[in-house]
Amino acid sequence: MLGSVGGFTVKMAASSSAGRALTLCKQFQNVLRISTAVNAQHCAANVTRYQNHVYRGTSPLIAPSWCSSPLSSAGQCRALHTTVSVRGLEEFFDLPENWGESRVKSGAPWTAKHLRTKSNEDLHKLWYVLLKEKNMLLTLEQEARRQRVQMPSPERLRKVERSIIRLETVVTERETALRLLQTGQEKARPGDWRRNIFGHVFWYRFKEYACPWYMNKRYKRKRFYTPNFVQPHLRLRIEKYLRERAKKANLEKKTQAKLREKFPQMKISSS
Amino acid sequence: MHRKKLRDKKNVDRALYPLYQLGNPQLRIFRPKWSLTLVRPGKEQPPDTVQFRIPMVMTKCDLKGYLEKIYNVPVGTIRTRIQFGSNKKRNHLNQRVKQPDFKVAYVQLAQGHTFTFPDIFPEKDGTPAEGSMEEMQEKFIEDEKQRQKSDPRRGGVTEWFGL
Repeated sequence: MLGSVGGFTVKMAASSSAGRALTLCKQFQNVLRISTAVNAQHCAANVTRYQNHVYRGTSPLIAPSWCSSPLSSAGQCRALHTTVSVRGLEEFFDLPENWGESRVKSGAPWTAKHLRTKSNEDLHKLWYVLLKEKNMLLTLEQEARRQRVQMPSPERLRKVERSIIRLETVVTERETALRLLQTGQEKARPGDWRRNIFGHVFWYRFKEYACPWYMNKRYKRKRFYTPNFVQPHLRLRIEKYLRERAKKANLEKKTQAKLREKFPQMKISSS
Repeated sequence: MHRKKLRDKKNVDRALYPLYQLGNPQLRIFRPKWSLTLVRPGKEQPPDTVQFRIPMVMTKCDLKGYLEKIYNVPVGTIRTRIQFGSNKKRNHLNQRVKQPDFKVAYVQLAQGHTFTFPDIFPEKDGTPAEGSMEEMQEKFIEDEKQRQKSDPRRGGVTEWFGL
């Protein structure tokens, strides 16, 4: 069944326009349902993410076997289709057969480990698929609130959010790796270590402004230096920190001594 | 039911877009992080108008590009307004609770397209599918109820009375 997942990625059109993410046709879903391989469970869990999406769009790069599916699979026809209505906006809603259901099945969220196996093009397309799914779920949530009805399967929204976050982490990982190799810079956004008025040293990330900093009144009010009257407070803070650290160490030593007294054959805990 | 905070959200939320000044090249965004909500209009709108709730930082141009590129929707004009979320309600500690502000966009579709907000929660009879989990659960619940019921020959008299 790995082949089916591979086939899925191959069938995805290489078009770059964001709205053309190819999704599974019903035939493919049927194929997956019949299969019983262990791997299929894992793949199907991710693939069922797409089961709400119907193939739509008129991309010319579709293989001929797919062309017939939107016409033949009558169950996927849009219920609110009039002659002049827009098919694009229907993607804000679920499949018509899921309207009014109390529960809608959905698969597991994407894990970072699984996303790292995917190519950049696949991740790019997946981003838009997840975005559209999120929009659909948000519209559903809002409409449910409006109609004072429970939203079916609200966990889908959290799954999609998690998947988006993981996708973002994977993409940033790849970008940092590339940047390190090409330029040697670890961070994409330039920054600097700065001290704020309270004496804390922190990493300040630069922001783009239309004028230089000495002409920016709001920026000058920020004060990236510690005034002299803050020094005593800094000293007190350092003392407090050292006292706490000493207390913790002492406590640890005392507990160990007590335990060794009670249980002389105890091995020294390495913590 | 409390929701766990998504701690790694900073990756998605922290992306800064470059400053735009007159003459700069067109900003092209890959993988936009903004999500829209299509809402049912509270007031009657013309047939070609679609109402969205969009994040506060989105502009009309952003929304136009978003809908055209991602959803392939022909967009005409867009009008936006910011809805103030009330700060009037108070919690049990008498602190004011703020409802979040949001931006509302009224999108008029081009090329004579129309849109009516569909009925997403139609009435469906609750008979579950044959052999499914729901059917088994319902059967089990029914059997349990049948067992809990007292003897019908007692005529509604409780078990407290009697031998």
